Amino acid sequence: MNSINKIPVIEEKRTNPLARVFDEFVRFCRSRSLFILHYCTGCGAIELPPAMTSRFDMERLGIQPMVSPRQADILLITGYVSIKTLKRVILTYEQMGSPKYVIGICSCTVNGGMYWQSYATAKKLDEYMPVDLYIAGCMPRPEAVLAGLQKLMDRIHSGEANSWEDYFRNYDYYLGNQQKLFGENWQTPTDIITEAKHYDLIGEGTLGKHTQILEQHQKPLEALDMRLGHDLKEPTE
Amino acid sequence: MAPMELIIELILMPLVAFVVGMMMVLMMRRIAAKLQRRIGPPFFQPLYDIVKLHSKRTQVSHGLIHDIGIVMAMGGYIAAETLLPVPGMTGIAEKGGIITLLYLMMIPSLGLALGVGQCANPNGSIGIARALTAMLAYDIPLVIVIFGVAYAAGTTNLVDIIAVQQAGGFETWGAVQMPVLAIAGLIAMHASLGKQPFEIYIAPAEIATGPMVEMSGKYLGGLFVMQCFQLYTTSVLYVSLFLGGGTTWFDFLLKSFLVLAIPVSIAYLFPRYRTEDLLRLMWKWPVMLGLIGVAFVL
Repeated sequence: MNSINKIPVIEEKRTNPLARVFDEFVRFCRSRSLFILHYCTGCGAIELPPAMTSRFDMERLGIQPMVSPRQADILLITGYVSIKTLKRVILTYEQMGSPKYVIGICSCTVNGGMYWQSYATAKKLDEYMPVDLYIAGCMPRPEAVLAGLQKLMDRIHSGEANSWEDYFRNYDYYLGNQQKLFGENWQTPTDIITEAKHYDLIGEGTLGKHTQILEQHQKPLEALDMRLGHDLKEPTE
Repeated sequence: MAPMELIIELILMPLVAFVVGMMMVLMMRRIAAKLQRRIGPPFFQPLYDIVKLHSKRTQVSHGLIHDIGIVMAMGGYIAAETLLPVPGMTGIAEKGGIITLLYLMMIPSLGLALGVGQCANPNGSIGIARALTAMLAYDIPLVIVIFGVAYAAGTTNLVDIIAVQQAGGFETWGAVQMPVLAIAGLIAMHASLGKQPFEIYIAPAEIATGPMVEMSGKYLGGLFVMQCFQLYTTSVLYVSLFLGGGTTWFDFLLKSFLVLAIPVSIAYLFPRYRTEDLLRLMWKWPVMLGLIGVAFVL
């Protein structure tokens, strides 16, 4: 951990006089074009079709649904997150390209809601991934969903919505909470630590005792076997 | 033509195509919104999308071929724009001819096939297999239609084809002279746009946008740029073949947007066909109409 802290962080100096204008333009475009990936786990999903279709029309704000995590900017989690679901949510979140934003809809993502006493439900979503915005309610109406999205757009435009960096900078905290639920053998296909190093997002809390546990058993990713037809025979000893 | 002038034209023509193409994307999304009784996206939405996708921090590349595939997908269309004459600019259209243009319009699909192949995503592979099958389906009527038009005009030079149509005003337009071929060409053009009911390779609900499934950031941004070029190329080719090109920018753009509005308006009213239905439909009706049209021309 000490050696990591010694790496000098090079502050990028913006010498171009138009850099400020360019940054402002990029932030504006980011706030006006949001692709949503909705992970519809619970009952809150029923409020999204009216928000998207002719009654409330999300597209006039530049928000459209997308189908794969690679293309999306917003991960919309609409309802309770069971432990089994949470694994998939984390895999999805880690595959999204930054800057990415997470919105938790319904009270179930805030504190477990009516599933507070359930043994199989993850109560607080922001223990496992940084959440930009909660839209509370059981369930929130489409007006509330749109108001929340507009608030997120304002935050992106003003440059405040950068909680995605928190996942890299405090990865140890999030990984610790994940390991508490899924066991110490938990590993995702995405290598967050390498990614944080690559994008200069190493922070105080990136490495810690939980990432040490991860490094002990982490298997490196292997390329997929690319051939036609699979060998269906059992492996002989 | 002076070499300097030619270079300026070669740079300007793809740029114009890009700007017009973005407006075509906007028109397409506005038509979809109007048909669904929505308001639709704001005027600069295609620009916001492209800028946002190119300004993503994380760029997930799956390897060299993945990068090259996207460049091929965009480059094929950028090269095609220099062969499409627009009012005041002909670029290298006189030297290229329509057969080169047809070849160049196939490169984007092949580039996508290369790029998507390296993503190793099963949805992507299914999508690209379907895209190439769809290309096989619509290229046969398209080639028959283009053969008919070229035979009637006596040349494969797009500039001459436009000049022949503009010679006698409205009566010498391809659509008036060869109405059967024009209808076959419209169907083939609709299929080549890949919109419903011929949207077999995007199919978001079934194979998660097929070729685009693993694309993120600037890779998806490249494909958004490609879509602008695709809409422009297809509609301008149709206008050049059947509607007498354009004498001024006003009637050229009016014709291009109107021609594109026909398949787009139809698209959002229909669900989509299966692959084999698309093949059966494309090899039956447009091919039959095209052959009848060619028989009239001969």
